[in-house]
Amino acid sequence: MRLEMEKVLAEIEKVIAGKREAVTKILTALLADGHVLLDDVPGVGKTTLAVALSRAVGLNYKRVQFTPDVLPSDLVGFSMYDRQSGGFSYHPGALNDANLLLGDEINRAGSKTQSALLEAMEERQVTVDGVTYSLQKPFLVIATQNSVGAAGTQFLPYAQVDRFLVRLSLGYPDYAAQMEMLKNRQGVNPMDQVQCVMTRDVLISMQKEVQQVVSRDAILDYITRLTLASREHEAVDVGISPRGALFLDRMAKAHAWMDGRDFVTGNDVQAVFRDVCAHRVLLKESTNQTVDDVLNDLLRTVENPDRHSRGMWKQ
Amino acid sequence: MKKRYVGFAVWLVLTCLLYFFENNTDTRIVLACTLLMPFVPVLRRGLFEKDTVSQQPKAIPQTIKTFETREEDDPGDVRAYLPGDPVNRIHWKLTAKRDELLVREQAKNKTAEEMEIKTVLEAEQPAANKLKKHIFLIGFSIFLFSLMLLLMIPSANQGMQALLNRLFDASEAVNAYAYERFDVPADQPVAFAAVLLSLIGLSLLGMTLLSGSRFLALGLMAACVLFQIYFGLAFPFWVNVPLFALFVLWMMKRPWKRKVALTALTGMMIVSMAVLLLYPGVDAATEAASETVRDRLSQMAQSITGTTHEQPAGENETRHVHTQTLTAGGQEARTDREYRLVTVEEEQISMPHWVDYLRIVLLLLLTVALVILPFLPFLLLNQRRKKALDARKVFESENVNEAVFAIFQHVAAWLEATGHGEDNTPYAAWHADLSPDYVQRFTACEKLFEEAAYSTHEMKEEDRQQALALLNETEQALQQRADWKQRLRLKYKECLWV
Repeated sequence: MRLEMEKVLAEIEKVIAGKREAVTKILTALLADGHVLLDDVPGVGKTTLAVALSRAVGLNYKRVQFTPDVLPSDLVGFSMYDRQSGGFSYHPGALNDANLLLGDEINRAGSKTQSALLEAMEERQVTVDGVTYSLQKPFLVIATQNSVGAAGTQFLPYAQVDRFLVRLSLGYPDYAAQMEMLKNRQGVNPMDQVQCVMTRDVLISMQKEVQQVVSRDAILDYITRLTLASREHEAVDVGISPRGALFLDRMAKAHAWMDGRDFVTGNDVQAVFRDVCAHRVLLKESTNQTVDDVLNDLLRTVENPDRHSRGMWKQ
Repeated sequence: MKKRYVGFAVWLVLTCLLYFFENNTDTRIVLACTLLMPFVPVLRRGLFEKDTVSQQPKAIPQTIKTFETREEDDPGDVRAYLPGDPVNRIHWKLTAKRDELLVREQAKNKTAEEMEIKTVLEAEQPAANKLKKHIFLIGFSIFLFSLMLLLMIPSANQGMQALLNRLFDASEAVNAYAYERFDVPADQPVAFAAVLLSLIGLSLLGMTLLSGSRFLALGLMAACVLFQIYFGLAFPFWVNVPLFALFVLWMMKRPWKRKVALTALTGMMIVSMAVLLLYPGVDAATEAASETVRDRLSQMAQSITGTTHEQPAGENETRHVHTQTLTAGGQEARTDREYRLVTVEEEQISMPHWVDYLRIVLLLLLTVALVILPFLPFLLLNQRRKKALDARKVFESENVNEAVFAIFQHVAAWLEATGHGEDNTPYAAWHADLSPDYVQRFTACEKLFEEAAYSTHEMKEEDRQQALALLNETEQALQQRADWKQRLRLKYKECLWV
């Protein structure tokens, strides 16, 4: 892994133990300039993770706890009549100067609010009363969904879940990790020890480098075959969208960059495939397979580009 | 679409069954006529396909037009009025709104025309295929229809038999028994039968032309062979040569060549058959040759089956006499009805022994197979080996990336052949039980491979050497570890690896 990222990871691990893999994935998503959906139970350290990440990278951190009465204007800001100046003045919302936005329990927000957030995520700008304000760069949204106590909530519809680059879950820590966590918090708050080891500008330049990573035709072919196969799979109702294919490529690039390479391999695609695509596949009701089964099936049956791309030199 | 064809097939089979079990001639005629019924709509569509094609695009631009007019309300499609613009193009509604004369843009109509052309072009291709299919179906129906009429209507049937009689007349010396089979006066009118036969021939010709089917050719050839064997007719050699050519063509792979050649040959066959039927006249030399062949065949049959036919003492003499009569003049032989009684014994010989012939054919095939079989694997393997060696030429390629890629593919193939890796798993999961030293080198080489396969970097000569070293090491290690069975397997795989 790249040294810079190793450092960031080390800082985050001061507060979150034993979640190296998930944290790495979130960092990868950050590099790929995409958003993360965390499907998790409460109290496993989502907020801690986000705060630690924002401190380590020097990002501007905002948090919105979604409830049914959070309104779109809370996110994107609103214009108010100002008597002194005699005109309208703009009051920025939570999105405006955030680099890292933690949207807690996004499924509790109303659909209007959800769509305002998702639109801002996609466009990276907000428009209020005809004036467009572009958001900070980089801009990463970590949204969480609690499946516990889901009564009265609106889970994100398929079309909107599709906009998240990856869906991850942290999960409970194991025995050793939890013991360490408890020990660490005797007396001092480890969050204070997290230091800024990277700047925003460095992160932006890294994101640019990630964009320069090469995906050759063999890889694009593999991604296309994977997505096509997902649409034709017998247990699948709605397969991976073209956007999913784009995101898969982006995430694979970030993964390759994290690995210190400037080209994507088939293994990169395979490594990120489950995280990028698990939330993009809708199964038929009649099937008794799980999404994991289907994805593993695809990885097994769709021919690896190492085997498939004989004669790629002719391209 | 497919359901319809299944329905057709079932219905066809039912009609044919009914036809053959029905005794009443009138009912049979009606049944034969109904055979043409389902093809009537096909016929209609097939013949008038062109009209519908030319009608189709007319309908499409209309829908485009309506779509256009709706879009014209969009202000994007208008521009300021210039002197000379026609008045009917002025967009009055927008003009009123904006207080200046605005004209609808005309540019989009052009694209509509282009679209029209495109749709016409696109529509033609499948229509042509459809037409082909329809003509094929029509040919098939005409074929069946004529065949049924020929078999059933007394005058046609008798006419055909009279035609056959003429043919047999020509080769009377060996086919006297035919008279007992087709006891029809020779002066029976044959016109109807000839018409039906030519219909069959034409539809067969058309079908061959369109489909280029190999099975049609095979069927035709088989029919000709049967005809020759069963009736003891010796076609002149200009019929038999095309017959052989037909068989060769049947094995050919180019569809269009096959189609053209097949059509020509089918035509030739049909013409030659017609000539034989209508103007029979077999010369004595052919007759004698046919005679000898039949003798030899029966002798062979005897030696194979072990059964001996009673050879009448005077047989050879009678045959000699007949040959003489033939040389004297066919006319005389044709009218000689007494002849039948004399050659009863000969008839027994000339009657085909199906089982025996089948055995002969099988024996011949078996012999050929036995001769060829031992050489077959060598032939196949040698070819593959050549290909495998060709594949190795890439190793010296100037493009080092390509070379490294190919070398690693070879390494992977070796490992896969010995069960060290599974088909679609990443290479990292391979080589589980090999020595750690080797695994280290393999992993290093895998990195090279990935770089060669997926990056745009230029690779160096050392990389090629490293990969080659790994390939050699793999080959040696695997050869050493393998027992004789596996070694054989490896040898085979080496040949197969292309």
